[in-house]
Amino acid sequence: MSHSSRLLTAIAALALAGASPLRAQSAAAESTAAPSRAPVIDLNESVAFEVCPHTGMMGSSGTFGLKLMMTYSSFSLELAGEQVIGRTANLYPVSINAVLNLATHSRLIPYGAVGAGLWMTVPVNALGAETVSTLGMNFGGGARYFITRTFGIRVEAKQYFTSISDSRGLKNDLLFFQEVSVGATFLFH
Amino acid sequence: MTTTSILRRTALLAALAAVLAGSARAQARFEQSLSISGGLYAASGFGNNFYTSARYDYFIPGTRWFIDGSLGVGSLTSNVIGSVTKAQIFTSNNLVTYEFAAAFDYAPGGAMPFLLFGVGGVREGEETHFAAVIGIGKRIPLPGLLGSNALGFRYDIRDQIFSQVINNSNPFVVHNITATLGLQIYF
Repeated sequence: MSHSSRLLTAIAALALAGASPLRAQSAAAESTAAPSRAPVIDLNESVAFEVCPHTGMMGSSGTFGLKLMMTYSSFSLELAGEQVIGRTANLYPVSINAVLNLATHSRLIPYGAVGAGLWMTVPVNALGAETVSTLGMNFGGGARYFITRTFGIRVEAKQYFTSISDSRGLKNDLLFFQEVSVGATFLFH
Repeated sequence: MTTTSILRRTALLAALAAVLAGSARAQARFEQSLSISGGLYAASGFGNNFYTSARYDYFIPGTRWFIDGSLGVGSLTSNVIGSVTKAQIFTSNNLVTYEFAAAFDYAPGGAMPFLLFGVGGVREGEETHFAAVIGIGKRIPLPGLLGSNALGFRYDIRDQIFSQVINNSNPFVVHNITATLGLQIYF
């Protein structure tokens, strides 16, 4: 083995050995030297806005959705839109919800929510079938856990219910659906 | 190949890995990125078609995790099905996918790819399927390109797994594979 090869190998090994500790140190330094990232949320500070993409299950169907929240202190107003992917139809609930935050100065913010909105059921590949729209309500609760001052995870469980009448309007059926979801939340002040 | 040349190549690869590690460290201050990617979408039973996607990533500070949201557009055109049966399987050949996933990047500057898992929606014609998504990928920073440390390449290979029914068949599990290469902008 030539002298230059040995030298090159030694330099490369040294560079590799130095890279990982430096990266680890920079992460640790970031967490201690940046007080602005201290992961405690104060909802009394000012009006805060949140964007929450989420996914979950409603019955045996998968869901995707987006929630937009405006928060001040214990109260939040929320606009929520979702897609529930069914085998024969897709459901699109759009609702406005009132949210009561059970903590305002914490990393963990449990909450309860109640709301109402429009449910649109869109059939898949059914000839002659039309979109059915009904009014529905929901209630439930969950929690947001903030990892940083701007980012957190959110889990939620909700009960949805709506009334559907037959085509002649002679009979009403009250339908109940349960949804469990998990997602991310991005907070802006 | 002699021992010397093997050692030389190993040293060069190690040096390259160290340089990439350094550039990834330079990008550690970025918390978010947007990517535009292009590649192939292999729909099970339909063959390959071109596929483009836009991705948003949020890198959770102080961790090796990031959140990934993506929207992709492609086609389900199949020359084989079209020439053999003339049948229209779906109401159109349009393909739209969206994904919501978490990824773990053990070595942002090393050679090991990140691992990704999540869920997705696959819209084939008018039918939408809820899919599990798994994948691997790699972010390759390009420090100094165009006078910026905020640019990089990325590649992604993902498997969208879902249950499908075609023409009243029994439900069966399909694996749709995407392979894309893209440009990433950090901010």
